[in-house]
This record gives sequence, structure tokens and C-alpha cells, in this order.
Amino acid sequence: MQFDSLSFLVFLAAVLAGYNALRAWPARKNFLLVASCVFYAAWNPPFLLLLLGSATLDWWIAMRIEAAEDARARKAWVTATLLVNLAVLGYFKYWGFVLDTLCALLARVGIVYSPPDLGIVLPIGISFYTFHSLSYCLDVYRRKIQPTRNWRDYALYVAFFPQLVAGPIVRWTQMRQQIETPRSVSDDTFFLGLTLLVIGLFEKIVLADSVFAGSADRVFNTAANVGAADAWVGMLAFSGQIFCDFAGYSTCALGVAAMLGFRLPINFRSPYAAGGFADFWRRWHITLSSWLRDYLYIPLGGNRHGAWLTYRNLMLTMLIGGLWHGAAWTFVAWGGLHGLYLSIERFFRGRIGDAVAANRLLRFAYAGVTLLAVMYAWVWFRAADFGTGWILTRQLVNLPALWSGWHATTTTDRIAVAVFALVVAAQASTRNIDLDEVVARMPALLLGLLLAAMLVLIVLSPGDSHAFIYFQF
Amino acid sequence: MRSRGAWLAVWIGAAILAVAALLTVEIHWRRAGYEPTVIDSPQLWSIQRGRVYGKQPIPLVLLGASRTEYGIDPKVLRDALPKYKPVMLALNATYPLATLRDLAADADFSGVVLCDLESFAFTPIFWDMQQPVIDYYRRRWTPSWHLHRVLLTWWQRLALIANPDFGATATVRRLFDGGAPTRNYVEYHASRGGDIDYTKADPEAVKRHFAATVEGNLARMPKPDPDRWLADLQPVFDWVRAIQARGGQVIFYESPTSGLTRQIDERVFPRNQYWDRFTAASPSPVLSARDVPSLASTPLPDDSHIDYRDKPAYTRALAEALIERGWLKR
Repeated sequence: MQFDSLSFLVFLAAVLAGYNALRAWPARKNFLLVASCVFYAAWNPPFLLLLLGSATLDWWIAMRIEAAEDARARKAWVTATLLVNLAVLGYFKYWGFVLDTLCALLARVGIVYSPPDLGIVLPIGISFYTFHSLSYCLDVYRRKIQPTRNWRDYALYVAFFPQLVAGPIVRWTQMRQQIETPRSVSDDTFFLGLTLLVIGLFEKIVLADSVFAGSADRVFNTAANVGAADAWVGMLAFSGQIFCDFAGYSTCALGVAAMLGFRLPINFRSPYAAGGFADFWRRWHITLSSWLRDYLYIPLGGNRHGAWLTYRNLMLTMLIGGLWHGAAWTFVAWGGLHGLYLSIERFFRGRIGDAVAANRLLRFAYAGVTLLAVMYAWVWFRAADFGTGWILTRQLVNLPALWSGWHATTTTDRIAVAVFALVVAAQASTRNIDLDEVVARMPALLLGLLLAAMLVLIVLSPGDSHAFIYFQF
Repeated sequence: MRSRGAWLAVWIGAAILAVAALLTVEIHWRRAGYEPTVIDSPQLWSIQRGRVYGKQPIPLVLLGASRTEYGIDPKVLRDALPKYKPVMLALNATYPLATLRDLAADADFSGVVLCDLESFAFTPIFWDMQQPVIDYYRRRWTPSWHLHRVLLTWWQRLALIANPDFGATATVRRLFDGGAPTRNYVEYHASRGGDIDYTKADPEAVKRHFAATVEGNLARMPKPDPDRWLADLQPVFDWVRAIQARGGQVIFYESPTSGLTRQIDERVFPRNQYWDRFTAASPSPVLSARDVPSLASTPLPDDSHIDYRDKPAYTRALAEALIERGWLKR
């Protein structure tokens, strides 16, 4: 079920009515778990069994880890959960990719192999709930947390519908108290949540789908025929689309959770106003980047073993992060670019970092470079294949043709570029403030006017329903 | 932190402003002569696709392109054939063989298919035209989207502003580019039938448009050799046999055309070389409107499509023709 569907509005109204009608906290949790199962099953009922089976197995294994006396047994149990989770993820998400890559390699040595079509359907949200479960088991293994003995509480942690299919990736430490302690919903929390839901829907429906998607799709779907201006339009439009799509989903998730009395971690903090690449990753998909840092980069050694191993660890972390997003080499290329950006930044930080930090103009210029490089990496993220990525790259650097091509762009393209500039400006003006703080500080009259405008634009943007981009991950 | 009163003031104020603004937009366009209409989509098609199952009443699946979607009235057909449940899977501007193939591969389907095609449309390059909606149904259609589409259909029937032509981005585009929202002469229904009102269009212009489109398509496509054309249809016959083997039935039907459209079709695909040979080879019944006076005489303002006022009579005549031949039961 998508947040931007009319069916979700009906579902949410029913959930809020049922949830508030119940008084006992265990009954409310049972209700939320059932509602979360309905939410997930509304997409593909059989995969609900996979979700609940996976959650149950990890819940049980975590207790086995805790109960195990010696280190070897603990290690065996944590290895088991890693293998099971990664095997399930690998089968559903990467098996086709592995076979395609194998076929391509065999074809290079003259062997033609056509594997049968297994018709594998990717269970929605599998990358997200797998990471939920892995972090839980790994934290139990590291003795950072005590496992819960209550299956319902654990299942609710994994399946809680606002964050189930596209995050934020929540840790047990962030949810345990919220699940175990009775929640009450204050008026302030409820209305703040409702406001965040409207803002998220505005980002998704109006900005991502109505303003940016058309231009981005046109350019990336017909890359062979586009000129320099089109390539720039496509890059800017997709940069706007991916942010508004994903941040829109996260904002909706935070809002819906708040309406139920839960607080989810923030996932975006003005990423296009980042002053550097490390700063970008502290602002973009924060719960994923912190997951990769804690469960991949630091265990690999982090920055503790010298410069070259640090670069290697950065690169590995970002390559795997790229592959997490999708089973295609273009995602690996996207991750590789970010690994490269982070390594270069790290190399220069010790040499000229202080000079940049001390000079306002240089800081501004570096923020511009960061934005440009991040947008360029999105080209590889969106490109259907390497050929498309290279074609667009060549057009992007064909600067002499940029101005003449600009005159041939459509009004739709120009609107997309102008709105993207507004999105960046808005992020720059709120770069150190979270969205809920912006809402809380805003004068009531202005907030009311903005909400009215957003509601009007949401209703007046009845285009095709586009699935949230991050659903596919 | 805001008090309850402050939040209520914000939200009630925002809601009143938003409703007032939306009503203003709605009234503005209605006064300009526009009316709400259901908008066809892969989701609306998918709702119909999900109705092809069951035994009683027998599913009667209508395949074709615009001539079927705008020509056959499912409601009138249901009244004329009470034992059947009409399911409209015809899709404007696309030929239907992909859907026939999909129904043949669906082991749970055992209904009746009325497949509207002319000789030209049997050419293999057109077979996959409806595949995108089938893919949507197979891969992305969910119970959740079903509920969404039912609610959206209700909203589209109620409000003009549910039409993207009157949306915010379209309006901004028009501010720069000029122009006005398209005045559609086709009104869709939730059942996916469409009504063409030729008092809202220039039939001569539409006629010329269709003739030019067909000539353009023919110019790009080499005329197939009749033997090769017929030999290429073997997979289609296999699909028919697959449906028949499950107790289902397929009826091929060529809807009426006239004037330029008929002349072009006859010039490029002469009946004796194509349609008649197909009729002789087909494992299932074949009917051409040319052979049924009550169908052939249907007025076609643009040489190809029926005005909605003539739909009931045409639909009843078609039902009668099928019953008379014993292919459907009254």
C-alpha cells in the first residue's frame, strides 16, 4: 500500500479509529501488528509469510545468541542469522543479477547460456526489514542490547507499517522503549504528524511525480537522442525527483508514526545543502548511512589502520551500499563514485580542509561542487545501463551546446529546473534545522496558508500514480 | 509546542481555504463548458481483467481497440445476453492479440472472447501492443490499487479537477504556452466503455486524421504476402484452441467501417486474399460486419466509430447476429 493512494487514506482512517478506540496498551500493539500485516498483504499476501517467518527466525536466533554460554556458539548463531538473511535477500534480489552477469561473462568466452526465467518477484521492503533484523541480531551478539522475549513486540518492531517498506531503518534501541511503554498521543504530536504527512505527500505527489518525473523519464528513457541541455535537465530533474520521492516517503512515515504516538528517526536533513561528501551522507538517508557505518565500515576497520585501508573501507562500504539499492552494475557505479568522492575528500581534508572551513566563499564553492558531484552520481543511479550513463556523461560535458539546446527545452523542463533550484534554496535556508522544528517554529498563519496551498496542489496533481522509487529496493 | 486550539485553528483555516480554492477552480472550468469524466488507465483495465473468471454468468470478454471500446455498450449487451457477463478489455489505439494470448495462457479462464480485429491488425508486429497493460496487471496490480482505483473512479465522476488536464502543472504550462484544456468528445464509464459524441467533434477532420494515420502506418510497413500472413497466424489459432480445450470459446469479429477507411483496408488487404482465407482456416467462428446488413448499415461519422446515440442499436444488432448463428445463447 502506498502512502499516496486513496486506499491508504481509508486504511489510515480505520487504523486511527481502531487504535484510539482501544485503551489497553497490549491490545493497541496487537491491533497495530495486525494493521501492519494488512498494510503489507495489500501488496502481495503470500509475502507476508516471508516477512513474519524472517522476523520470527531472527527473534528466536537472537534469544539463542543471548543464551549461548561460549563465544563459539554465539558466533555460530550470529553467522547462521547472517547467512539466512543474506541468502533470502540474495535469492530474491540478486539471483537474477548474478545469472545475468554470469551469462555475460560466459558469452565473452563464446559460451551461450540462457538460464530459465525463474519469475522471481522482489518482496517489497525486503532490503529494509532485513537490515532491521540484522542490526538487532548483531547488537545482541555484541551485547549492546538484551533481546526481547516478546514475539509480538519484536514483530511489531520489524513490521510497524509506517517504516516497513522503505524505512527509515530503525534500530531496536530506538523502538524498544516506545513499544514496551504505553504511548499516548498528544494533540501537538498528532497534528504535527498530520502536518508532516501532508508535507510528505506534497513532496511525493506534487514535486516528485508532477514536476520532476516527466522530464527525468523523458531524458533517461530516450538518452540516445538527447542533447546537452536535455542531459542537464534530466540530471537536475532526477536529482529533484529522487529527493522528493524518498524524503517524501520518509516524511510521511514520520508523520503517520507520530499520529500513532511513535517517533521515528529523521532520515533527511537538507542533503543538497551539504558542505562536502561526508556531510552529504550525514544528511541523506541518514538511517542507512549510519547502519552502513556501524555494521560495515567500522567492522571493516574504519579509519583505524592508516590512510590506504581507510580508502579501501570507504570504497567497499559505498560499493556495497550501491548494490543494496539495486541489483545492477549502475548502482555499483553510483556507490563507487561516492566512495571515490569520500576518499578524495578525506585525502584533501588534512591538507586544505582548514582553509576551506575558514573561508565563507570557499565553503560555498565546495557546497556547489558537492551538489554537482552528487547530481552527477544520480545519473548512474537512474541510467538503465552503462551505455545510457556514458551518453549522458558526454552530453553533460558538451557545454558549448548547452545554451543553444536550452532554447529548445519545453516549459515542463524549465518548470522542473526552476523548482529544483527552489528545493535547493529551501534546503540551504534550513540546513541546520529539522523539518519538525521548522513546522514548530513557523507562525500559525503562515503554516495554515502553506498547508492550504499544499493541500490544493496535492488535489490538483492527479497524474498517474508512480510507485515510490525506494519501494524497489 | 502549539496548544490544541492553535492547531485546530491552523487546520480548520487551511481546510476552509483549500476547499474554497478547489471549488473556485472546479466552478471556473465547469462554467467554461467542461465536464467530469472517468479517465481510462491500466488500473481501470486491471479491474476488468480480474472479472474474466467464473462460470455463471459466463464471462464475455470484449477484445479490440477503439471500435469495440467506444462501440459496444456493456450494459446493453448484458441486457441482451443475460447469461453472460460482459468484460471490456478493448483498449483504444492498440490491437488486442496480446490479451488473447494472455487469456489463452491463463488456465483459470474458460469464458467467451469476442475479438474484434481487421486483417491489418493480425500482422505480427501488432501482437504486443496491449502487452504493457498485461504486464501492469501481472506485476503491479494489487488489492490495494484495486481499492484506490474504485475510489479514484468515484472521484473522477464527481470532480472535474480529478482530470490531470485541469491540474496545477498543466495550468502552469498553459500560462507559458497558451491554449486551453482539451475538449474531449469521448466520455468513459467505470465499465471502461466510452461514448463518442460527434456533436463535440468535427467528424470530417477525424475521418481525415484516421485515413492519414492508416496510410502512414501502411507506408512504413511492407504489405505482407497473403500466404505468409496466414502462416504467421498459427500461434493465434493455438491460443484459440487452448481456450476451447478448457470449454471456452473465441469469436473473431470484424467491426464495420466505411468510406476512406474501408477503401484503404480493401486496397491493401483485399478480402478474398486475407479475411476470407482467415475465416476458412480459423478453428473458431468468424464474423464480419460486412456480412450482416444490420451491422453494416450502422452510421459511422468518421468512417470507423459509432456515435454514442447509435451504440445501443448497434450492440443489440451484434448480440442478435451472434445468437442467430448459435454462437451465443439468449
